[in-house]
This record gives sequence, structure tokens and C-alpha cells, in this order.
Amino acid sequence: MTDQELARDLGFLEAYTIGLGTMIGAGIFVLPSIAAEQAGPASMVSFFLGGIISLLAALSLSELATGMPKAGGSYYYVNRALGPFFGSIVGLGMWAGLTFASAFYMIGFGQYLLPGLGDYIGLLAGWGDLGITVAALVMAAFLTGVNYYGVKETGALQNVIVLTLVGLIVAFLGLGFLSDPTIGEFNPQGWPSVAATIGTVYVTFIGFEVIATSAEEIKNPSRNLPLAMIAAVVTPTLMYVGVMYVSTGTLTPSALQDSQVPVADVAREAFGPFASAVPFVSVTPGALGSFGALLMIVGAVLATVSSANASILSAARVNFAMGRDRILTNWLNEVHSQFRTPYRAITGTGIITLLLIAVGVGIDTLAEVASFMYLVTYALVHVGVVVLRRADPDAYEPSFRIPSVLYPITPIVGGAACLVVLFQMSIRWEPLPLAYEGLFDLGVSLPVTPTLVGLIGTLIVVVGIVWYFVYAKERAPSQSLVGEAIAPSEAAASDGADRYRVVAPLSNPATERDLLRWAAASAHAHEDENAEIIAVNVIEVPQQTSLAQDVQFEEERVAQQQELLDTARDIAADLEVGLRTRAIVARSASDAILDVLDEENADQVVLGWTGSRSTREHILGSNIDPIVEHAPCETTLLKLASGRRDEPAGDSWDATASGDGTPEEIVVLAGTGPHAPVAAQRAAEYVQASPPGSTAVSLLNVQSAGEEGDDPEAEGTAIIEDILAGSALSADECVTDVVVTEDDVRDAILEAIEPYDTVCVGATRTGAVSQALFGSIPEAIGEQFDGRVVMARGAEEAPRSVRDAIVERLAD
Amino acid sequence: MAEMGEELFTNVLVPVASEDDARASIRAALPYLAAAGGTATLVHVIEKAGGAPDKASVEQREEYAAEIFDAAWEEADDALVELHREIIYGTDVAESIIDAGDELDASAIVFTPRGSSRWVKLLTGDVALGLVEHSDRPVIVLPDEA
Repeated sequence: MTDQELARDLGFLEAYTIGLGTMIGAGIFVLPSIAAEQAGPASMVSFFLGGIISLLAALSLSELATGMPKAGGSYYYVNRALGPFFGSIVGLGMWAGLTFASAFYMIGFGQYLLPGLGDYIGLLAGWGDLGITVAALVMAAFLTGVNYYGVKETGALQNVIVLTLVGLIVAFLGLGFLSDPTIGEFNPQGWPSVAATIGTVYVTFIGFEVIATSAEEIKNPSRNLPLAMIAAVVTPTLMYVGVMYVSTGTLTPSALQDSQVPVADVAREAFGPFASAVPFVSVTPGALGSFGALLMIVGAVLATVSSANASILSAARVNFAMGRDRILTNWLNEVHSQFRTPYRAITGTGIITLLLIAVGVGIDTLAEVASFMYLVTYALVHVGVVVLRRADPDAYEPSFRIPSVLYPITPIVGGAACLVVLFQMSIRWEPLPLAYEGLFDLGVSLPVTPTLVGLIGTLIVVVGIVWYFVYAKERAPSQSLVGEAIAPSEAAASDGADRYRVVAPLSNPATERDLLRWAAASAHAHEDENAEIIAVNVIEVPQQTSLAQDVQFEEERVAQQQELLDTARDIAADLEVGLRTRAIVARSASDAILDVLDEENADQVVLGWTGSRSTREHILGSNIDPIVEHAPCETTLLKLASGRRDEPAGDSWDATASGDGTPEEIVVLAGTGPHAPVAAQRAAEYVQASPPGSTAVSLLNVQSAGEEGDDPEAEGTAIIEDILAGSALSADECVTDVVVTEDDVRDAILEAIEPYDTVCVGATRTGAVSQALFGSIPEAIGEQFDGRVVMARGAEEAPRSVRDAIVERLAD
Repeated sequence: MAEMGEELFTNVLVPVASEDDARASIRAALPYLAAAGGTATLVHVIEKAGGAPDKASVEQREEYAAEIFDAAWEEADDALVELHREIIYGTDVAESIIDAGDELDASAIVFTPRGSSRWVKLLTGDVALGLVEHSDRPVIVLPDEA
């Protein structure tokens, strides 16, 4: 089992319960009275349609989540597909939606705790709305603290809560149906109200998004993720419809609408008649009803708390994803060194939640704004899935795809349904006279009246747009794929994957020639793949200036950049290799180069290196570490000879021999690391591209003498043979050498390579996440060998497990 | 006795929880490692809730782990000691570290104590205590020199 698999610890059941845990939240306990007030018994249709809308969203989200299993959920997908403009809207919208939802859950908690439990515990009764607000504030602050301090929660606890809730609701439904509810007038307010009520109750459906945000942790996601999502939508939908049926059929419309604890009140009414059926003990109907109501109150308290908890954590993840895309400051995403929680993001979310509770906009408005923001989000998610399908970027390979009979129908219908509900909840069909209390009267009226939720929701969207233009536009690097989707480019389709590309970031005219020569050697080895070199130069500008501004003031740097790239073209012509140049102005050279590697689908990157990792020397205008760690392709670091030797002078292959006419001596360190064959391959390519006789290659293996009875000589020979087999070098064109030493292996290597001009070495074994190249031996060579050093690593591999590391170690 | 001490440092596992912690541990362990010619594997455990939502996304904590390792590498700087890094995932931090020690066949588990108040340990779990109580290989607690 690899570490990556260990990180995936959620099976279908766990993913399903996580979804259920947030779905069966305050909504089902608090909303029946609000929904009944707005649409009567027909509000069960609103719940049903809300479920359908969620089901459509679940299909699109499943495809996106398996295609891009990254933290941030819908925000991440929309930002990738539609760019940072819509990313800003959705990111801010989701975050706002989650805080409004948390405040809604907490007030629901307060209602069940005080007026609800007040019937049983005298101390809690009679505190009124102020008491509810205070209880909500205290609980919200407590949850913020729990998440700030990283108090341990376990899957077992989560399962107990979810099972309890499901059990309670099933009991409620069972007894409720048996008590023979009678529905009065089914649809007193008309169908437009039913549609608008979808908007009110949609907050109960936002929980399944949690499954998408956990995509990276779900086992076998192509199957489990869509199944868990669909199940986590269907189960609560059926429950909600049932709860509405029982509620509206048990209580009179006015009693239900006035209730702050509707499910408990319904239980009190519905359970009473079953008193005679209770075995062994005799209870009065009143006592049984009262007991049923108490159970529901306990359930409601559990549900509201677990929903709010999940919302606060989800909000922090949206913050993290936005910070990673530089739409939001990363300052928020600092992880606490002791608690290992994103404490700033959690505190921020907590504070806004407290403010929303304190402001007192009303529990229904809180729910509706949360719904509004998620409907906007899901509308854009549906657009996103269509855009990604059409643009079809290389990285997008979802393991679950919306079945072809449903595509593109479901995203289109789903997106349109979100818009219809948004429209319905944003306006009332009443004319609004444009007049105010005799102050002014324009004598005209709008045909419809905007609602409070419509205004708040629109305002949040506008804030997102303003945020984009004021902050995110300059910083966020990612581009939208909409253009690709409208007109998929031919080039991307025809040569995206099969052309061999070497990216060479250039910054220093002195290292430029040598870098390009090694890049060209690899390109020549792949001539049949239309190989080309992409020479990149990045002008880095500081954060506080705008990109455009800086370019104007720094004409000199731009001129240097042009000269550097012009020279690169001349060198490439001499080396007979195809070369494209890219001049870039960016905040961070390493990020820009990583973007280029990604865009160009690069096979190799060749970087200049000063030879030491610890010096913070800026080779590319920034440290090369980020590139080395994150480059998804083969990576070659090149350190030039330092002083002692004469540099080969010319640009063409004929001039590669060392200055005095003797062949250039190259030595490959043949070790057991995974990248040693790559280093040998680099040497082979270089030799093959050079004129015959101008280079000589040796393979060197250094063994420590070891215990008596070992045969280090034979071991070394075997390793060298492995390396030969793994590269294009053939045994008859190179010298092999096994050195056995009693001393330190590192010192022996440094001594053995001394006579050579160039040493090629593979990166040492790497950690699970960071693909850092450096181990002690390559670093020591980089620092102490004064010839040319070529360090190579292969393309990013699957992270290695501890077990693999041991096997490798034993093989040493 | 000296030889005995060196043997303990041939192949140590160093659990690291934060940047400061990593620096302190490396600072404290380097002299011993250098003397023994030993290697150290730095391990950061990403704690999973195992079904409940995690406090932070795995990706965020993987980035955090990379920062921790970088801090350790920086601290080690020019000392020629072999260091490895490994992220492991588990619901119980101490248990995960002990398992990693078994898999690596570590000569010892080495760390510096990180002071935190008793109630914080109660709420977030006391890893040091778990290691000392349950490890079946040597656990070495080095003083933080700084």
C-alpha cells in the first residue's frame, strides 16, 4: 500500500456518512415551519425539487471531483474551468454561503435548546429571542474554539451522531405515518411560492459538497464518489419530503408556522396516540408525546452542531484553495505550529458567523442567502463541466464521467434550474413604486419587487467581482479554459502529447550556451518526436508594483531579456535544433516556469545550478528549489565548471571538445538510486550528439569494502550493468570502473571523479511529497567538484512508501 | 558505552510536528548523527480523523509538511549527514510513528520535547507520552539546546 493510498481512508460508507452528517442538519429540524409558512403542504414538492437540483449538481460535481481531486471543491473546479473572475465570485460566494449556513444552524440550535428544552428544564424557559441569540453565539464560539485547537474528533463519533439522527428521523416518519396525518389545502400559495421555497430550503442540500471536497481522501473514487454523493442526496430528500408530509398533516397550518421547534411539536402531537401500544409500562399519551418531542430536541441539537462544525471546516478549505490560487491572501492559511489547524481561516469564519448571528437578520434570511450562494455556485459548476469537456486539457481525466445519455442534458438542465430558482427567490411578483415616504416619487414603478435575500446575494456576487478587479486579477495566474472550449485549438490536439519538449529557463548569458547544448543533446535524441527547445526568460517584479507598470520602467531589463533570447536562437541554429522563446514577466520566476512546464507539457527541464543548495543564490531570479521539487517532468540541473578548466568555446557541436583538443571526459556515477539511469541517459544523449572522438564516457561505481566474504567488486559490476541496460549507453563505448574503498564512500567518490571534466549523477532518493533532489552525495559533489556537474532526476513518480524506501535501503 | 550510544544513532527516526520542532530536533541530533555516521529519517504524520471531517485538507497539511522538512534541511545546512523525509498518514500519531519505526527498522526514535500545557495535551493527544509508553524500540529525548 502506498502512502497515497493510506491518505485515502474513506470508503463508500464513510463518504456517505460524512455527506449525511452535514445534510441531515438544522434544515430538517428547523425548516418545516418556515417552508410550511411559505408554501403550505406543497412545500414538500419544494424539498423534492431541491433534491432533484442537487442530484444534477452531484453528477457534474462527481465528474469534476474525480477529474481534479483537489481541496476547495466547487471553487477549485470553477476557477480552473472559467478562470479567476468566476473563481473569485464562487470562492467568496461559497465562503459566505458557509458562514450564513453556520449562523443559520446555530440559531436553529438556540431555538431547540432554549424554547425547546425549556419545556423540560425550567431554567432554560422564558429567555426569549435574546436567549436564543446568546445560546447561538456561545455555541458558535465553542465550535470555533474546537476547530482552532484541533480537538480530536473521530470517525466513530461522527458515525454515532449520523446513525442517531437517521434512527430518530425514521422513528419520527414511522410513527408519524401511522398516526394518519391529514393534509388540508395542498397548495395555498400557488406554484411560484413553491418555486421560491426551493430557494429557502436549498440550504439543507449544500452538505453533499463536503464529499467532493474530500475527493482526495476517498478510496476508489470513480465508483465511491458518485455513489456516495447520489446516496447522500437521495436519502435526505426522501426524509425531508416525508417530514414535511407528516408535519403539515399533523399540526394545523398556524401551529406549524408559529413553532420554533417544529419537529418536536409534531412528535409531541403524533406520538401521543401510541401510548396504549407501549409494552410493559403504562404511559399517558401526553407523556409519550413529550418523550418523543424530547428525543427530537436532542437530535436537533446534535444535528445543528455537527452541521455547523462541518461548515466552518469547509469554509477554511475554500480559503486555503483560494489562497493557493492567490485570489486571497495566503496569510489566512497559516497552519498553527502546535495545533496544526488553519487557525486564522477558522477564526475569521467564526467571527463572521458570530456577527451574522448577532445582527439578527432572521433565520429564514440566513438560510436563503446560504442557498442563494450555493445555487450560484452550482450553476457555474454545470458550466464548468461543459467547458472542461470541450477544452479537454491534458490534466483533466475524470475517472467518473457523466454517462453519455445524460450529457450534455444534465448540466444544461441543472444550470437552468439553479437560475430559475435564483430568479424566483430574488423577486416578488408585486410592482414596486419608485417613491419614498413623500421624499420623492418618480411616478413609475418596477414590475417586480426585489427581495432582501436577492439584494444580499447579489451584493455578495458584486463584492466578488470587485475583489477580482481590485485584488485577484493581477495576482491570480490561472487562465480560463472558456476560449479553448469554444474553439478547441488544433495544436493542442495534434502535438500536445507526442512532441518532445525541453524547457530551458535562461537568465545568465554565461551559462546560456552550455545549458542549451545539454538541452539540444536531449532534443536530438528525440528527433523522431519533433523535438524542440523552449527557451524561457522571466523578469521578476516585486509584489507591490503592477506588472504593466514595472515593464515600462524597466526597459533595460526587457532589452536584456530580448538579447538573451536572441542569442538563444543563434545558438539553437548552430546546434541544428528547433527553438521557441518565451519572454515572461511575473511575480515569481519559479511559479512562472512551473506554469510553462505545465502548459507546454514539457518532457524535460534543464536548469542552471550554482552547485550548492544552502546558498540562497538566485539563479533564475529566485531559488530553483520550487521548480526542482514540483516539476512534473524529467529535471536536469547543470552546474558549470568553476574556473579551473577551460570552457569549450564555440556554439556548434564541433567545438564541444575541451580546449586543448583532448576528448571531454565524462563520468557517470552508477549508483542504486532510482535516478542513476536517468543520469546515464543524459550522458548518452550528450555523447551521441557530439562528434565522434570528442567525448569519452566512464561509468563509476564506488563500493565500501564491507564485511569479509562480501564481493563488492561483483556487486559494483552488477549495478553498472543495470545502469547500462537502463540507458542508451552501450558497454563497448564506455569504460567501467568499480572502486572499493575502506574509507568513506563519499570521500572516495570525490577523489575518483577528480580527473574528469564532467560528472553525471542521479538525484538521491526522494521523500513522499517533496521531490527534492538533494542528498548528501550529490550535494557534496556540487560543492566540492570543480568540473561540470549534471544532476538528473526522472519524471515525477508515484510517491514511494516507507516499505519501498526500506527495500531500496537494503539493496544498498 | 560510547559504542553503544553510537549504535543508537545509526538509523534514527525523527518525528517532526512543526518547523520549530524540526529545527530543534535536527540541531540536537546532528552531533550524535555525525559522530555515528548515521542517517536520519524525518517523519511527519498527517493525522486523519478516519471518517469525520479533518481539521484541514490533506493537501494543505502536505504543503505544511514540505515547509517543515525544508526548515530541517536548512538547519542541517552544510553538515554532511544523510537525511530522508517521509510523510505518513494515520489516525493515531504515536502509533503511526511507531509503525514507521518498525518499517524502517530504526535504531531509535529521537525527538526534542515540545512544551505544551497539560490541557492542550489532553485535548489534542500527548504524542510524546504515547511514544514512550508504546514503542518497542529505543526512544531518545534530546534537550532542545536553543
